[in-house]
Amino acid sequence: MGKSEVKGTVTSLSSMFPAEETQKAAKMVEEKLSEKQNEMNQLKEFIADNTSLINLVQKLPDELHHDIMVPFGKAAFFPGRLIHTNEFLVLLGESYYTERTAKQTVEILKRRGKSLESKVDALKAVMQDLKAEASFFDSTASEAAEGLVEIREYEEDNSTKWASQSGSLELETPSVAEADNKMGASEDDDYARIMSRLEELEKEELAAEDNEENLEDEDEDANAVESDSNEDELTKAAEGDGDEDELTKPAFHRKKDEGYSYLDHGQRYSESPRKQLQQFNDKEPIEEMSNKYKHQDLTNQFASTGLTEEPVTKGEISHGRIIQEDTKTLSPSINASAPFEKKSVQTSKSEFDSSKAFTGSIVEHTQNLDKSSVGTNTTSLQSSGSQPSKPVSRFKMQRK
Amino acid sequence: MDSLRQEKIQKFEEFVDRRLKPDLVHAIVERDKIFDQQKIFSDLRKNIENLEKNSVTSLRTLVNLGSEVYMQAEVPDTQRIFVDVGLGFHVEFTWSEALKFISLREEKLERQIEEYTRLIASIKAQIKMVCEGIRELLQIPEEKTVEGRVF
Repeated sequence: MGKSEVKGTVTSLSSMFPAEETQKAAKMVEEKLSEKQNEMNQLKEFIADNTSLINLVQKLPDELHHDIMVPFGKAAFFPGRLIHTNEFLVLLGESYYTERTAKQTVEILKRRGKSLESKVDALKAVMQDLKAEASFFDSTASEAAEGLVEIREYEEDNSTKWASQSGSLELETPSVAEADNKMGASEDDDYARIMSRLEELEKEELAAEDNEENLEDEDEDANAVESDSNEDELTKAAEGDGDEDELTKPAFHRKKDEGYSYLDHGQRYSESPRKQLQQFNDKEPIEEMSNKYKHQDLTNQFASTGLTEEPVTKGEISHGRIIQEDTKTLSPSINASAPFEKKSVQTSKSEFDSSKAFTGSIVEHTQNLDKSSVGTNTTSLQSSGSQPSKPVSRFKMQRK
Repeated sequence: MDSLRQEKIQKFEEFVDRRLKPDLVHAIVERDKIFDQQKIFSDLRKNIENLEKNSVTSLRTLVNLGSEVYMQAEVPDTQRIFVDVGLGFHVEFTWSEALKFISLREEKLERQIEEYTRLIASIKAQIKMVCEGIRELLQIPEEKTVEGRVF
């Protein structure tokens, strides 16, 4: 587009994430993982002991007396017999004991077994997280060693309202550029046809966004009108193939700005449309896709507003409004994120974390798209790159 | 000259850290195990002496079935006691025989403990020597030994 300038920086990935440090981090994670593994083994032992004890307790009341060797200290035995075979003295903890029958003892032991199993499950979840971390670090280390280069391109629009977004745009465009570096060549043919269609829609989008910016400070009614108009555009676009993708995708890309936890979902959403674009150019899958996205659009809006603590005026909120306010929350949240999460690249790592952090509709979406995104996640960090909030930049990249 | 010294010092330190200290730890662990065994046998001896003193013929105890679940057990005749003599064997004893055996066992354990104590002391002495050597190399003044008043 004529009114935006493109600046760029090229940074070597190894300078951002030095290979040694990532390897150290990977080792630390592996150590933690082995610790958890030991705990897991211990817990499993306990569970096995518990079940064998349950069996024993159930068998003992079969006889009145059992002849046994009674231990006397640790180094001596007396021959003797077990008596009162239905009375068990069970330790409840804190030096409290209780006399119970065999049945009651079995119940106590079963309850203990359940709590042990829940502990094992929790530990498994933690271990999975650690494994994801470890694989993430390994891939980072190998990539840094290979000398991958991260290319950042900055777009500056003349309108000041987008100034705050440029920060977030920077974050998003690099991953797109990197993804393009890897994927672009093979997909150019497919894109060519769609590009022409999408270019037209880009202009429409820009116009719509500019309108939203200008009206941002006005009443909610005005925004509602805009949102309605946006929706009209969306619904109109629904008839076309690429149109839907065009509009819903940017909607999603904007949604990504809403909270970094959603970036992952946005990534996946943007990923699968791109993938599907590349793979199927049929109407039906795309329409289904866009329908899905629309639905997810809504849920994202509903859920994200809770996150970002912004007043949700109506069900359909103007996209532009969300973007501008949320990008401001986005940048600080990104700055505050843990270093290894690499928010700037929006890696697959955060995907795993966020999917665990949130429940409900969001989790469903991620699971739906997980299968499609898992393949891409494993390829590289950059390929899981998110789409920029503005369709312009992404398509610009792809055109190149 | 300094670099040579540094090298030597480093070698000494490495020697201490890698060989002497783990050896020390190992020896202490082994000695603790023998302490435990000694305690077990002395407890057993005291119990048997108690039984003898009170002429206890039968006994009621609580047996641990595992995971701290106990069941009552009765020992009708306490005259026969089976004592662990090592290598997985338990020998049937009367009280007096058991007491004799236990005292023999305790002597053996004491000798083992003494050996380990000597080993530990020698390792500690070696560590100290190496530290002194390092001190000399660094030419740090010797630590003054605390002198008590001699009357």
